[in-house]
Amino acid sequence: MSRSTILWSAALAAAALVIPFYLDASWLQDGLFAMAAAIGAIGLNLLTGATGQLSMGHAFFLAVGAFGYVYFASEPQEGGAHALGGLGLPTPLAAVLAVLLAGVAGGLFSPIAARLKGAYLGIATLALIFIGQFAMTNATPVTGGHNGRPVPPMELFGFVFADTPEAPLVIAGVPFGALERLWFLGAILLLGAGLFARGVLRGRPGRAMNTIRDHEIAAGVMGVPVSRYRAGVFVLSSMYGGLAGVLVALVFQQTVPDYFGLLLALAYLAMIIIGGLGSVAGAVIGAVFVSMLPRLLTRYSDALPLIVQPGQEGVGAAEAAQILYGLAVVVVVLFLPGGLLGLITQLRLRTGRPLPAAAPKHSLTPTPETRN
Amino acid sequence: MGISRNSRRVAALAALALAVTACASEKATGGGGDAAASGDGIKVGPGVTADKISIGLMTDLTGPYASFGKSLTNAQQLYFEQINQAGGVCGRQLEAIVRDHGYDVQKAVSAYTEIGPKVVALAHVVGSPMVNAIKQRIEADQMLTIPQAWATNLLGSKPIQVTATTYDIDMINGVDFLAKEKGIKSGDKIGHLYFEGDYGESALNGSKYAAEKLGLELVEQKIKATDQDMTAQVTAFKKAGVKAVLVSVGPRQTASLVGVSLAGGMDVPFVGSNSAYSPQLLPTPAGPALLKDFYYITGGAPISSDLPVMKKLAEDYKAKYPGDAVDSGVSAGYSAAAIVVDALKKACESKDLTRAGVVNAHRGQNAWGQEYGGVMDFTVFDKPASLRSYVAKPDKDALGGSVVFKDAAVSDLAKEYQVPVG
Amino acid sequence: MTTFLELLVNGISIGAVYALIALGFVIIFKATEVVNFAHASLLLVGGFIVAKTHESVGFWLALLLGLAGAAAVGALIEFAVIRRANVISHSILAIVTIGVDIVLTTELTRQIGTEVLALGDPWGSEVLHLGAVNIPLARIAALVTASLVIALFLLAFKYTNWGVAMRATAEDAETAALMGVRRGRVSMGAWAVAGALAALAALFMCIFPTPGLDRTVTATAMKAFPAAILGGLDSTTGALAGGLIIGVTESLVGGYQSELVFLGRGLGDVAPFLVMIIILLIRPAGLFGTRELARV
Repeated sequence: MSRSTILWSAALAAAALVIPFYLDASWLQDGLFAMAAAIGAIGLNLLTGATGQLSMGHAFFLAVGAFGYVYFASEPQEGGAHALGGLGLPTPLAAVLAVLLAGVAGGLFSPIAARLKGAYLGIATLALIFIGQFAMTNATPVTGGHNGRPVPPMELFGFVFADTPEAPLVIAGVPFGALERLWFLGAILLLGAGLFARGVLRGRPGRAMNTIRDHEIAAGVMGVPVSRYRAGVFVLSSMYGGLAGVLVALVFQQTVPDYFGLLLALAYLAMIIIGGLGSVAGAVIGAVFVSMLPRLLTRYSDALPLIVQPGQEGVGAAEAAQILYGLAVVVVVLFLPGGLLGLITQLRLRTGRPLPAAAPKHSLTPTPETRN
Repeated sequence: MGISRNSRRVAALAALALAVTACASEKATGGGGDAAASGDGIKVGPGVTADKISIGLMTDLTGPYASFGKSLTNAQQLYFEQINQAGGVCGRQLEAIVRDHGYDVQKAVSAYTEIGPKVVALAHVVGSPMVNAIKQRIEADQMLTIPQAWATNLLGSKPIQVTATTYDIDMINGVDFLAKEKGIKSGDKIGHLYFEGDYGESALNGSKYAAEKLGLELVEQKIKATDQDMTAQVTAFKKAGVKAVLVSVGPRQTASLVGVSLAGGMDVPFVGSNSAYSPQLLPTPAGPALLKDFYYITGGAPISSDLPVMKKLAEDYKAKYPGDAVDSGVSAGYSAAAIVVDALKKACESKDLTRAGVVNAHRGQNAWGQEYGGVMDFTVFDKPASLRSYVAKPDKDALGGSVVFKDAAVSDLAKEYQVPVG
Repeated sequence: MTTFLELLVNGISIGAVYALIALGFVIIFKATEVVNFAHASLLLVGGFIVAKTHESVGFWLALLLGLAGAAAVGALIEFAVIRRANVISHSILAIVTIGVDIVLTTELTRQIGTEVLALGDPWGSEVLHLGAVNIPLARIAALVTASLVIALFLLAFKYTNWGVAMRATAEDAETAALMGVRRGRVSMGAWAVAGALAALAALFMCIFPTPGLDRTVTATAMKAFPAAILGGLDSTTGALAGGLIIGVTESLVGGYQSELVFLGRGLGDVAPFLVMIIILLIRPAGLFGTRELARV
């Protein structure tokens, strides 16, 4: 690990630690959505970015994770037609099972995932979204139907990730509600998810995956078990989706089927393209960009030209955010082949160009993770 | 060089930490402050300062209910403006904080987290999925909330006030109307076209109950909001031989249903929920069919009714928003704003403008809204505030595209109906 | 039986419209190997132009303008984006079209705003009575027009220079270029034709029995995806078959909903995708698609 990487990591870790003490709840919530999106996007980047398998059904696996967690963790509720099932398991176990369930769902799809390629796979996965919506609204005892159902808060070793007005937690004068607590859970999950994916990408499997993406037949000839890898990556990526779903559910406190629709699936694709295909950092950057953009535009709509306040004629903040992220996808593909991550690396290279002569030890040639 | 780079970074970090510390105190103190007495001896909480009361509007300006959301927002801002010109409430000016969720649950949740701490009440929230997503927090915050949705499952929550009737009550009154005036009798079949989700399913509860009581056979057809062409549904209704059709879908689907039915020779009366009709449909090719034998049931008076308050609203609205279409959102939004402002006024009298104080003041009124055309009882919250519904009929020339066909009334059926809560 | 016939005819006529959209996908895919997710917005462009102009210039001229406008936008997307994108994988080009789609759809729905726009078509809400079967005239028009256009198209594909150039490009782009086929022109032409087809489909999607053009039209266009895929993305015959299969499935499942209630309500929307998945399990390249063979 180079010295700059260590510095960067330290800075990020410090920021992650400090943020909940200073930013208000709504920013924390958006940050948490961004973290969940980052976990999901890392998973999708393994599949689409590193292995070249187009998936438009990622939102489905988020839904499996979210509703799986709720079902495993909730106590069953009586109530005639509105009865809700549940297993009442301890919440950490429920979360693990939900992630595994998402993996199983991905595995069940693998007969299709392993046989189809490119656009065919993309549109077949699109079917998952529609089938998922249908199942979610019809399986009322599990999902709560169209309205969804409340999410039991996570409880780890007696520590509850929820607002506890009766026993408020105050750290350094800052009241710690659900979002402040979840912030740290989210940060740890994201870190774990990121490190694991980096390990996969940098190791033997990562090279095999890239070979499949670049030339599937060649990969087969070189002895990569192509079908097994493709199915395996699909399952792994589904589990990432499931984990993101669990986190989203915890932040929402109520799961609603509508959320896990086509728009969400497309947003994930946009994230990995904008951030940079095939790398962990790219997925995270893209996720933050796509999740925070609407919020930033809404927040500063009064200060920005061309964007009007809600209710007036003209381009509203929500529309501007949509248009911007659509444009970002196009612009990145046309002009920034490496995504925002590639742009950052390039800028660092450019500013660092005179360096090698003066201090060759600190040369900033791209490390393998930025190439991936 | 390397060292200077690093030191630059460290400096940047330090600057960041410094900038961040500057606002540290804000959060550290901002967490408390739930209820404090202001200078005039009135207890205040979030959303209320010495000279300002902030009210949230969570609306849809870019999604499928954009026209409705825009009318609601306009009408409520008009109401607040009028109150402010008359001196405000409790010596304070009203301020609306508008957030557009575009009918997206995540945006609604984010918007609530953002504006929730800054407002005393929500004068409207569009969409029952959005209300459901933030319901727990509304209850924890004791935030008086007027949903612009009338599903039964929104009942049963103290701070959430569903205005007038729920969809099921409307449908019961609608079936009663069909039986009394359109010759539907025991043994007949009636159809019900409804959306999946709260809206359709609440309405279906009502129609099922009424059909059973009157010995009618109900033919159900469930569709999704993305379905546009109702030909298959009309064919199914025709096959079953229905004598009338209840409609709990969006305006587009209503237009398609009524148009296809009439063109295909199924000339029966149609009775819709209040969300099934929109005046924007009248200029489309489906217009003539809607004018023929379509009615919709609504708990709130249409803007074209004879009530003085509606006449004045119509004039003021046209004066302030000359270019905007008038639909049911105008009267619904205006009266919802009036409910919130009246609750604030009552809370002011009891010198408690905290959120809980506003909710309590609101729940103390048992006969609100005579001038809005229907008395509502706010003291109970596990039942609809009213059981009276109007029967309205589309009309090309009327403001808002509809007129009162039959004055507000409660059917005997609706009186006996046990509302399923939750 | 009457019900069945009505549903069937209705399904076929919707299917013909889906086929128009699916044909657009296939043409673009053959010429540029891109799956065009921006197709929905091309529909919106065409419909929007017709809706906005028909009052001043009359329906037929408005329709021409709509066709031309959507074709121009299609060609522009090809020229400004697809041609310039330098990517390794065609999946990424597909995602770029999603970006284009988001931009166009957001802006157009903002323009349409809260209105429901009528397209001023001459068929109105008239219904043809064939014995006991009632079919809206607009549906008949859709069926006839779509059949004619598709037939014309297949002929052109087979016999004109443009068709030959296009098939050559689809077969082997490099060899075709060496033989003097201008690839840029072929692919731009393909996008323009697909745009025009989308505008035509938009017309029939937005007139009776549906009330008019509004923002939800794009959702309907989603159903043409399974149509194109299950027929085979590189087969024009496949697009036709796929469109018809999806249309009929949707219509029958919707019409017999009460008999199928044990499968859950709202099945009509999922049925096309279920059919697609089943077909893909048996034939991974669709019904008429070319199975990819690779020589090493």
